[in-house]
Formats: sequence, structure tokens, C-alpha cells
Amino acid sequence: MQGASTGIGYGLKYQARCIADVKADTDHTSFIAGTLSLKEENEVHLIRLSSGGTELVCEGLFSHPNEIWDLSSCPFDQRIFSTVFSSGESYGAAIWQIPELYGQLNSPQLERIGSLDAHNSKIKCTLWWPSGRCDKLISIDEQNLVLWSLDSSRKTAQVQSQESAGMLHYLSGGAWDPHDLNSVALTCESSIQFCDLRTMKKANSIEHAHVRNIDYDTKKKYILVTAEDESGIHIWDLRMAKVPILELPGHAHWTWAVRCNPEYDGLILSAGTDSAVNLWLASPPSSDDTASESLVESPKRRVDPLLNSYSDYEDSVYGLAWSSREPWIFASLSYDGRVVVETIKPHLSRK
Amino acid sequence: MEVEDAPLDDKAKRMRDLLSSFYSADPPPSMPANASSKYATLDTINTTSFDADQYMNLLVQKSSLEGLLQRHVEMAAEIKNLDTDLQMLVYENYNKFISATETIKRMKNNIVGMESNMEQLLEKIMSVQSRSDGVNTSLFEQREHIEKLHRTRNLLRKVQFIYDLPSRLGKCIKSEAYADAVRFYTGAMPIFKAYGDSSFQDCKRASEEAVAIIIKNLQGKLFSDSESIQARNEAAMLLKQLDFPVDSLKAKLLEKLEQFLDNIQLESGDISNALVDHDEPSKQGKFPVSVPSAAHEASTHEFVEAIRAYRMIFPDSEQQLIKLAQDLVTKQFKATQEQIKRQIRSADLLEMLRVIWTDVLLMDEVLPEAALSDFSLEAARVAVKQYIDTTFSHLLHNVSDALTKVQCRPKEGVEEEYSLQSSLEASKKAVTEGSTDVLQDFRQLLDDNTGLLVKLRDLIIDWVQEGFQDFFRKLDDHFLLLSGKTNSTGQDQGLTEGTQKDKVLSGLDLVLAQLSVFIEQSGIPRITEASDSSVFKNSIEIAASFSGGGVRGYEYGPAFVPAEICRIFRSAGEKFLHLYIKVRTQKISVLSRKRFTTPNWVKHKEPREVHMFVDLFLQELEAIGTEVKQILPQGLHRKHRRTDSNGSTNSSRSNPLRDDKILRSNTQRARSQLLETHLAKLFKQKMEIFTKVEHTQESVGTTIVKLCLKSLQEFVRLQTFNRSGFQQIQLDIQFLRTTLKETVEDEAAIDFLLDEVIVAAAERCLDPIPLEPPILDKLIQAKLAKTSEQSPSSS
Repeated sequence: MQGASTGIGYGLKYQARCIADVKADTDHTSFIAGTLSLKEENEVHLIRLSSGGTELVCEGLFSHPNEIWDLSSCPFDQRIFSTVFSSGESYGAAIWQIPELYGQLNSPQLERIGSLDAHNSKIKCTLWWPSGRCDKLISIDEQNLVLWSLDSSRKTAQVQSQESAGMLHYLSGGAWDPHDLNSVALTCESSIQFCDLRTMKKANSIEHAHVRNIDYDTKKKYILVTAEDESGIHIWDLRMAKVPILELPGHAHWTWAVRCNPEYDGLILSAGTDSAVNLWLASPPSSDDTASESLVESPKRRVDPLLNSYSDYEDSVYGLAWSSREPWIFASLSYDGRVVVETIKPHLSRK
Repeated sequence: MEVEDAPLDDKAKRMRDLLSSFYSADPPPSMPANASSKYATLDTINTTSFDADQYMNLLVQKSSLEGLLQRHVEMAAEIKNLDTDLQMLVYENYNKFISATETIKRMKNNIVGMESNMEQLLEKIMSVQSRSDGVNTSLFEQREHIEKLHRTRNLLRKVQFIYDLPSRLGKCIKSEAYADAVRFYTGAMPIFKAYGDSSFQDCKRASEEAVAIIIKNLQGKLFSDSESIQARNEAAMLLKQLDFPVDSLKAKLLEKLEQFLDNIQLESGDISNALVDHDEPSKQGKFPVSVPSAAHEASTHEFVEAIRAYRMIFPDSEQQLIKLAQDLVTKQFKATQEQIKRQIRSADLLEMLRVIWTDVLLMDEVLPEAALSDFSLEAARVAVKQYIDTTFSHLLHNVSDALTKVQCRPKEGVEEEYSLQSSLEASKKAVTEGSTDVLQDFRQLLDDNTGLLVKLRDLIIDWVQEGFQDFFRKLDDHFLLLSGKTNSTGQDQGLTEGTQKDKVLSGLDLVLAQLSVFIEQSGIPRITEASDSSVFKNSIEIAASFSGGGVRGYEYGPAFVPAEICRIFRSAGEKFLHLYIKVRTQKISVLSRKRFTTPNWVKHKEPREVHMFVDLFLQELEAIGTEVKQILPQGLHRKHRRTDSNGSTNSSRSNPLRDDKILRSNTQRARSQLLETHLAKLFKQKMEIFTKVEHTQESVGTTIVKLCLKSLQEFVRLQTFNRSGFQQIQLDIQFLRTTLKETVEDEAAIDFLLDEVIVAAAERCLDPIPLEPPILDKLIQAKLAKTSEQSPSSS
């Protein structure tokens, strides 16, 4: 598509799955990405968009002991991030600090300031307290949800509370509600579960199978976006969670990741295994019409919700992140290790 | 001169004053009393307060001698004059006095005789009065007597009349002079009222009996249809005079009429029943229909006559009659609507409408105020609209019936192979034949020239158009509903994999997809053509309105726009196809998910045979294949190429060997140089995996296979394998490669995807050493042999 030419590329050395926006870096638009290589030495790349916005610069390159399955950046300290990693059968999650004076670039070592080692099954992801300076984070494995309290000065992380999802639910991921900091949405095989962090108990659930990825709308309360393998993207209103309020067709193959724009209402980015990133404009139906047949029913909303499809990728796209500093910029990471930063400015006018 | 005038005036004035003072005691008010003192002038001589001395002094003082002399002369003259005047006056008065005395004297003489005359008169008058009194008293008694006698005679006459009344009434009854009887009776009424309880009891009773007879007779007359209308009218009038409750009579009569109506109704019901009963024979000849309708006509005539009569009899009963007539019409239409609900042919509807219309025309003649034609037009409008609506809904029902037969048939044990196909055929037939039938029906409606329908023709055309538009919209909705059901159940069924019901349901999606395409491509054009031509036969102007969407079309939105319907169904077709693919791939995804999440791949054992998952996978594909083959057409040129490529079993046998080499090189490359493969991939032309799906067997099948293989790749990428795990994957994929060749069209893409799966596995493998080709080949051959053993028995 014609949108492909606008992207700024950056190559990681190995295959990779995860990229995150460095939210705490208020001076630059930076992203952090980790590689996924079974046999080589894995790396974490700190990438910065040059001030002109024309170039991606490697700001730091750190070796990471294992292949990285998930990575998230600390929202209040740009030097801290967490990873989920595994090697063969072993798995783990840790919080890392980028050493000071890393600018000298002689392959400095990351400093491990906390190990999240209370897990006994495969760890899926880590989530940071969504905003503000609060050293809480969550790690999710197949069965458990663990709330950690990080003490960065003493370099320890302590389990604050823990909740088991039950034997039959294999958790696959989650999202922390930015509007209600006590609520975390967890995805498992057949449903989305909502957990109250104060009681660590299940508060609510949506029966919906095979959710691959989940994200809260940061602007609108109660709005949750999910991505599924086959059935595309669903947008839910948590107040009436029986049926989705909107359904987007998603990708030709699986929809792997969805991200709501932190600034512009209704803009949703999705990455799929059909080697494409799609930009959607979700305009939820007005509250009076029933949501059940929202997609098929009214011919008026045959207006294509797809704003653009970025398809200049060689492989499945797994990593996706909006920049919180410049919310019209997003970074995507395909499996072959290619980071592409795109701007959606041309499409904002159509919104 | 002036000097002379003034004394003259003075003189005259003084004269008058003097005279007046003579006749009247009042002093002349001309001079105020005080004038003398204040204005002592010479003029005071004429006033009452004249003072001679003062006047003398004044005169002497004021006047000269000459003046005094002159004054003296004047005064002397004046005195002389006054004396003569006085003398004159005295004389005149004296004359008058004399004549007055004379008159009085005469009067006195005349009055003397009067007295006696008057007395005489009085006397005479007195005597006249006394005489007249005498006469009066002598005649009084007799007169009194005569008056009494007269009164008695009157009374007696009345009594006589009353006593005669019963017999007279009887006579009247005999001679049927009811009018006289009623007059008599009403005349006697006040007496009966006053004395009926005492003196004339018997009489009253007798006459009341007579009157009762009269009333009865009158009622009989009123009710009897054989009497002339005037007679009945008269009877009604008389009854009214007799204070008989005519209203209740009227009500009774109307009730009777209503009953009559009900009878008619029953008959007409019979007719409609007969219409239905004789449905089959009526196609051959009109005879069975015409007989009951003749009977019906007769009864309607009767009704009309009755209405006419009642209208004459009770001129104020129009409203009720109108109501009755309207009731009749509504009842008839109700019956018609009942019939419509039972899905009748348009010929029958026409027949019924025609009957109603003739009735209405008849009634309209009698009761023009009822505006029955308008009324029935309104009702007919409703009926025809309902007819059109029900016809379309029946059509919809038929189509969906044809579709849903799919669901029940396999349970009966009929061979499943044909169920999808047959349901597709059935529903296709239902759509086209149903719509053409409907059109034919409507054409009959249009062809008919009953007054009712002629007026409605434009409306009918619009309705038919709207009906079609609506029908197709509803059909689309219905399809969605059906597929939605399958979708939801399909998800539920995903866990209890592969039950028959699920298969059939997802097959339904496919049927729907193909049916939509069919409707879009041939159904709609056919219907448009048919509707155009059918209308064209009618008249040109209507044809214009039909094909042009109608004049009213703009107000109510487009009535029937084939293009829009085509568009709807095209998109629906694509939607259903995608839905089908989605449902099928979802099922296979569940399989693959289980396959890849359950075993511990890092501790996998050495592969001994092709994993069972592959069998399940192929089974699913086969099921899809059979479904697809039933419904979708073959892509022509593709097919040729495919048959060329594996014309014989030998050549397909030889394929695996060739592929092995490719595989070997592939896997070796994967093992050693990962980066190189990436580079190679970069230079290889980017494989278009996800192409547009077409409505052909191959396209759908290939798309599903592609999607599933891609899913496999993704699942593989999420795992970490040991060597044996990798080898297992390699074996499975290799087996798939040989078998999939036979079913799919886009071999290059499939090959590419299979390679990708193996590459992905190699990448995720801790120790990617592939199986030795001989072993691989051996295992595959073993598996092939096993399946070929099973396959004859299974099929």
C-alpha cells in the first residue's frame, strides 16, 4: 500500500516479538525492543526517534541472558523495564535497570534490580501500574496473578498478593484498567476475567473465547478492546458486557495485538499474522441501538472503519506500541526483527 | 318731531296703565317705588307715588316761566283729554253691564221649566228598570234548566261514544280501518286516563283489548314482508301514535335484518369454503364457483330490498342501516382475510373480491349515503395489501423451509452427501419459482378489471414492488439470522468437536453463500425481467411506473431497485463465504491449539508415526471438501491444470520423492543458516497468501488450507522444541504435503506455507536436526498404506 513509504525502519539482529514505548522519557520519542532468539545471545535495543523524525537511532544496546517473550517499560523511570524470558524449559521474569553512562556503548550489562521468581508455570506478561509513580507491578503466568511491590533502592521485589485463576483457566495475558486502578482484565482460554486487586478475587467476566490480546481505552472509561485469533477485533462496554458494542473484521489471519491510541478517541491499531498493521477508526454505535447486530445490521455504518493498512512487512507482526509522547506515532515490530515507526498524521484528518 | 312723539307715547301708555289698574288691583310694576325719592323728575307724574307738591316745587325750580306756562297749557290739555277718556270708559262699561244683566235675566227665565222635565225622566227610567228586573227573574230558572240539560246531553254523548268504542274498534278491526280506530282510541284516551279505573273499567278493558288486537295486527302488518311498503309505513306511523315503543320495534326489525345478514354471511362463508373446496375443480371449469355465488347474489338482492324497505319505513334509521351495510362489507372482507391467511391463489381472491364488489354496488344504489364503495375500497386495499404481504411471507417461509430442511434430514439417516446440494437446489427453486408464481398471481390481480381493483391498480403495483424489495431484504436478514444461529452454535460446538449437527450447520453457511450468489446473479434479473414483461402486457404507462420505480416511489423510498438488492446479496454472499471459512478454520484451529499446547515439546519422544492430529486435520478438510463440492461450482481453468498435474496415481506417487529433496535442502538450510533463510526470503518474491476468495470449490478449499497452515506456523512459533519434537513436526508436515497436493489449487502457496511451518519449527528448535530422508519416507509410506487400507472400507 502507499502508506508503506512513510515508515522509518530499524533492524534488530534477531527475530523479535516485543516492543514497548518508553513512557517515562518525556524528552524523546523512544521505544524499547527485545529479541527472541533461542540460540544466540539476545539483545535489548533502546531506540530513539531522531529530533527530525526521519531516523531511528540506537540509543542503547544491552545483552539479555534469555529470549524475551514480553517486555514493558516502567512508566515513571525511563531506565527501568521488565522482561519475561525463557530458555528451553526454564522461564523467568525480571526487572532491569539500564546502567548510567550507557552512552559509551561498550556493551554494558543490564542491572537486574528485581526478580519476579514466584512463578511455577510459564510466565505470560508483566504489567506496570498504569500511571504515576507507584512501584507496583503485576506478573501473570498460566495460572496465577501476582502483585509485586518493587523497591528499586534495595533492588528487591516482593510479592504483595497472589491469586490463582483456578486449574481450568490458562491465563494468556492481561491489561491494567487505567481508569480503575484496582481492576485488571485477564485473558484466558474461554473468557476475559476481571480481578479486583484489593481482594484479589474475580469480580466479573466476559465469556469470549480465544482472546489473543487486550487493551483498555485510555480515554474512555469502561471501553475494552480485544483481539481474537479468527474473529477479529471486538470492542466491549464493561457496563453491558454480554455482547460487544462493535466488531471489526481484523486481519486476514489472526489478529495478534490491539492498541488504543492514548490521545485520539476511537483510533485503534491492530497487528496481525497476515504481515500487516491496520489502523481502525471505531465509532461505537449510539447507545440506543442494540449492539448485537451492530456490524451486520445497519447499512448506514457500512462506512469502512479501516483507515489504513500498513502491509510493508515480511513476516507476522507481533509487537505494537503507540508513542505516548507523540500520539500520532506508533512503532511496530515484525517477527523478522524489523522495527517500523509510522505516523498516522495523514489519517487524522479523516477522523 | 321727537318731542311730539314722546308725549303721544306717554299718553297712550298712561292710558293703558290706568285701564289696567282699573281692572286689576295690582299696581303696575313699571316704576320702582324708590324712583320718586331718588329721581325726582317730572316723569313721576304717572306713578302711584306721585307727590303733587314735590312735583310743583321741582317744576318751579327747574322750568322757566315760559316753560311753566307751556307746561300749564299742556297740563290743561292733558287733563281735558283724560276727562274725556274717563267719560268714554264709563260709558262703555255701563253698556256691558246692561247687556250682562239682560242675559242673566233671560237665563233665569229659561231655567224655570227644567226641573219638572227632569223629574219626569227619572220616573220613566225607574219604571223601565223595574220591568226589566221582573222579566229577568221570571226567565232565570228556565234558562238554568236548559243549560244543565245541554251539558248533560254532551256528557251523555261522550259516554255513549266510550261505551261504543270497543264495538266500534271491533268494527274498525274487521274493516281494517286501523287509522280510524287509532283516532277513536286516542280521542277516548284522556277519559280513560281520568275515569278508567272507576266507571269505565269494563269499557276501558274492552277497548284496550281491541287496541291490543289492533297493535298486534299492525305489528304483523309491519313485519310482514308481503304488505306494501306504504301500508307498512302507515302501520309504523299508527303504532307510533298509539304510543307503542316503535324504537324497540325498529331495533327488532334491524335485528332481524342482522340475522338475515348473518345468514348471508354463512352463505358467503360457504362460498369461500366452496371456493377452497372446489379449488381443484375450479381450475377446470367455473361451474362450481358460479352456483353458490348465484345463491349469494340472490340473498344479497334480498338484503338490498330489505334495506330499501326499511329505509322507507323508518326514515330516521339510515345510520343504523349504513352501519349494517358496512358491517356486511367488513364481514365479507374479514372472511376474505381469513381466506388470505390460508394462502389462496389470486384467482380465488379475485372471485371473492368480485362478489363483494357486486354486492357493494347493489347496496350502493340503495344507500348512497353509506359511501359503501369508498368504504369497501378502503377495506379492499387492506385486504389486497395483506394478500401481498402474506404471499411474500409465505414465499419467505418456503425458502427458509427449503433451507432448514438441511438440518433435519441428516438425522433421518438420509445420506448426507446430497442433503446440502438438495437443499441448495430446493431453495433455489423456491426462490425463483416462488417469485415467478407470486408475480403471476399479482398479474392476475392487475389483469382483472373489477372496479375495485382497477382503482387499486397503481397501489397494487407499488405494493408489489415494495413487497419484492422487502422480501429480499427480509430474506437477507433471515439468512443472517440463520447463519448467526449457526455461528453461535458453531462456537459452542467447537469444544465437542465434529458432531454431525455442527457440520451441517456450517454447511448451511455455505448454502446461504451460494444461494446469495445465485439470487444476485440469476434470481433478481429473472424476476425483474418477469415483472417488467408481465406488466408490459397490461399497459404501457403502468410498465413505465413499474420499471421506473413508480411515481410514489420517490416519496416512499425506492420501491424495487434490483441493483440495490443485487448489491446486498453480493455482499451477503461474500459474508457467508467468509463466515463459512471462519467457522471451519476455527474448528481446525481448536484442533491445532490442542495439538500444540498439550504435549511438552521440549521433552518430546522420537517420532514413530504421523501424528493423529494430521488425520483429524485431513478429516476436517475432507468434510469441507464434500460440503464445498455439493454447493460450489468448480473453477474451470484451475481444474484443468490440476487434472493435468496429477493425471494418474503414479505421478502423484512420484511427487513425494521430489518434494523430499526440496525438504531436505530446506531443513538443512534451516538448521545451519537461519540468517541466510531470512535473506533468501527477502529476495524471494513476497508470497501472496491471503488472496480474494472466489465462489469456487478450489478457492474455498485452498483458502481454508492456507489459513490453517498459517495458524500451524503461528502455533509452532509459540513453542520450543527438542530435536524429536521438531522431527515430529517435520514428519507431520511432510505427510500433509503429499496429501494436500491432491485437494488444493494454489500449490506454490501451500508449499511455501508448509516450508514456513518447518522453518518455524527449526527456528524454535534447540537442536534442529531433521529426520533422515529414508526414515521420513518410510514413515510416510507406512502411513499412506494405512490410510489406503482404511479408505476403501470407509468410503
